[in-house]
Amino acid sequence: MSADITITAETPRAPTLGRPIVRPQEPAVVAQTSPKVVIKDVRFYYKGYEALKGINLALQDKRVTAFIGPSGCGKSTLLRVLNRIYELYPGQRATGEVLVDGRNILDAGQDLNLLRAKIGMVFQKPTPFPMSIYDNIAFGIRLYERLSASELDERVEHALRRAALWDEVKDKLRQSGLSLSGGQQQRLCIARAVAVKPEILLLDEPASALDPISTQRVEELIAELKSDYCIAIVTHNMQQAARSSDYTAFMYLGELVEFGDTEAIFTHPREKRTEDYITGRFG
Amino acid sequence: MGVAGLYNRRRAVNGVYLTLSITATLIGLLVLFLILWTLTANGLAALSTRLFTEMTPPPGASGGLANAIYGSVVMTAVATLVGTPIGVLTGTYLAEFGAGSRVAPVVRFVNDILLSAPSIIIGLFVYELLVVPMGKFSAWAGAAALAIIVIPVVVRTTEDMLRLVPGSLREAAIALGTPQWKVIVMVIYRAAVQGMLTGVMLAVARIAGETAPLLFTALNNQFWSVNMNAPMANLPVVIFQFALSPYADWQTLAWGGALLITVTILLLNILARFLASWSNRTP
Amino acid sequence: MASTLTVASPRRPVRQHLQDALFRGATRAFAIGVLVLLGGIVLSLVLGATAAFGTFGWGFLTSVAWNPVKDDFGALPAIYGTLMTSLIAMLIGIPLAIGIAVFLTELCPPALRRPIGTLIELLAAIPSIIYGIWGLFVLAPFLQLHVQPFLIDTLGEVPIIGPLFDGPPLGLGILTAGIILGVMVLPFIAAVTRDVFLTVPPMLRESAYGVGATTSEVISHIVLPYTRAGVVGAIMLGLGRALGETMAVTFVVGNAHHIRASLLAPGTTISATLANEFSEAVGRLYPSSLFALGAILFVITFIVLAAAKLLLLRLEKQGAK
Repeated sequence: MSADITITAETPRAPTLGRPIVRPQEPAVVAQTSPKVVIKDVRFYYKGYEALKGINLALQDKRVTAFIGPSGCGKSTLLRVLNRIYELYPGQRATGEVLVDGRNILDAGQDLNLLRAKIGMVFQKPTPFPMSIYDNIAFGIRLYERLSASELDERVEHALRRAALWDEVKDKLRQSGLSLSGGQQQRLCIARAVAVKPEILLLDEPASALDPISTQRVEELIAELKSDYCIAIVTHNMQQAARSSDYTAFMYLGELVEFGDTEAIFTHPREKRTEDYITGRFG
Repeated sequence: MGVAGLYNRRRAVNGVYLTLSITATLIGLLVLFLILWTLTANGLAALSTRLFTEMTPPPGASGGLANAIYGSVVMTAVATLVGTPIGVLTGTYLAEFGAGSRVAPVVRFVNDILLSAPSIIIGLFVYELLVVPMGKFSAWAGAAALAIIVIPVVVRTTEDMLRLVPGSLREAAIALGTPQWKVIVMVIYRAAVQGMLTGVMLAVARIAGETAPLLFTALNNQFWSVNMNAPMANLPVVIFQFALSPYADWQTLAWGGALLITVTILLLNILARFLASWSNRTP
Repeated sequence: MASTLTVASPRRPVRQHLQDALFRGATRAFAIGVLVLLGGIVLSLVLGATAAFGTFGWGFLTSVAWNPVKDDFGALPAIYGTLMTSLIAMLIGIPLAIGIAVFLTELCPPALRRPIGTLIELLAAIPSIIYGIWGLFVLAPFLQLHVQPFLIDTLGEVPIIGPLFDGPPLGLGILTAGIILGVMVLPFIAAVTRDVFLTVPPMLRESAYGVGATTSEVISHIVLPYTRAGVVGAIMLGLGRALGETMAVTFVVGNAHHIRASLLAPGTTISATLANEFSEAVGRLYPSSLFALGAILFVITFIVLAAAKLLLLRLEKQGAK
């Protein structure tokens, strides 16, 4: 175990957990039994520039993995590789493998629409569709399932309850989704994403555009959703990462610097760069 | 010249420029006012229910413009119904599929040329294309010529409106696994619908007053006709014929028709502007 | 757990991709249709004009004849009229349009900006035929009674330009047509120029005002040089419109197939000739000559519009940097 460590008042403390940061001798070991997603040597290029330089990690099912790091480090880019949304833009490509339940989704034969139906994404900026609240949720469901009207009603209600939005909108389901407040719109987007019963949820800074109260509600939501989904969340808010996630990945300049249990990362990070970032030496 | 003198000269020059600029605006507004005044003063005399119920009379007799109004409305409607889908789809191509395509910039360029091309040339083209093979003038030919004028307007406004839809909305729809055509038709079009409607209204306002393309396509018809395969009366050509004639009755009718057209066009323009600014309001 | 990414019904993704391909193909087809349309227009003009050019050759462009009885036609009076009326239109329209654009961007109180801007745009929306009858019944008599005699008496006596203002005051003629055209294109040029002026970064204008420049100096030294390409583009777009205008000109130009030195004399333009004579043109050479006129007009306007578009594209790229 750790030895020769003297803890004084000057020892850097994890700003989130308050505990002294102690550098152990042995590397921490992360359990990797049958992970949901395995990312193998993924590189990402746009316009010739290498934005991700060989990422290797695994995401566990029914757990939250947070991605932290300074702006431009590639955390959002990595998320967008997982549902291949970069394919919308010419000049962007990814190499390597991303195995979801053992199947490589970066494979050319992978159907993109099916992939995205199973991997849900919530974006930084709330983007309700220009339709009623009901239709916003029903839209995704109708794409792949044929349900009767009452079944659809149930699914919509269920999704809105999951997103802690049902009580606020149940009397105005026919109103436009754009009539909601920012925080409500984001919860609508989360409801929309979970309504189609994905297996994996990708959250790209979901609360960064929201006020503190909405942020808190979104975070509570994520904690609840964890029990059903494999969640990957990108955040620049370290407190949020420390509070909500089980695993944390620290990225810097397109590289995965460190990955492990959230508790371990924030109290005894192995890498100096991780420690510097966590203690706020650079942002 | 001392400093004060130089400054005074600059101020004088400035004053001259500004006066000229204000004068120019006043001239512009004066012309608008004069035209509207003339139309109202001369056209009001012709406004009565007879205008809408009786046909264009032979010289020296009294009558109305019913057949011309009908013809204009029908040909405008057909031209809009035909030209709008073509324009919308082309505009969709330019906005959604045009990135990286070599065809798209050429289409855009040609479209803008067609937008400002002399409308009488369009008339010549449709004459060669439809009137000569059919052996006669017809309302179909007139509608076709008007449709050719509608298309570039709708292409331009559709492309501009679709481009204004934020990329985040597209991504949100794609992230649900929506096939691309549904993203465009069910989400993007809905988001841009008000702007596209404005474009259609402006196109209608444009063709409502066009005379030249009808001169050798639909020609004119003294009598009531609903036969699209034959020459059909229309307001602009009737105004042309009646205004240049020496008969007072005809001239009065010409002014009445001119007032009708102008009021319609101005109302459409104002309505289109209201629609545009209403859809841009911050919710 | 087996992945559900290979979904149970494999037909749906295939159908979706087919639908996507169909939709994309349809939009592409119509887009190419626009190109075909232009090609068709060019083709119809060329085919229609072949007989005339075949008979008269390039002399068609320089001949002043116009005799339907003898089947002798020449394009020069029409070309001259088109160019001359457009020139007058530009001389009147450009300064007024820039003046209005300056007013709307620099001088106008913010509350009035949208209403006045809208009124100017409404002026642009008024159709050609309305300008035509207004010109015929209001402007022409006014010019005939009050302006033209004045011009004949004053400018008509000045050496060199005197012959331009010669002859009886008819009211109709090249000058009147030019004035009407000028009034027609000025709102269009004003609107585009105003939009172009608004692309100047506010910082640039503010820093010029900040060092004490007067408004006219800011316009002439900062705004105009910055937007030079755009303003020229706007002017050329207006010119393209003026060249092709038909109805307004037909009413007031006098419809005479000759070239006279005086601007007060009647003349004709290509579009006016087409409007007046096409429906009565019989035979082979007469209609073909009219088509030839149309082809010439198309070439002229195409060149002007293409040049305008390229200039405006350059401004867009400049603005994006």
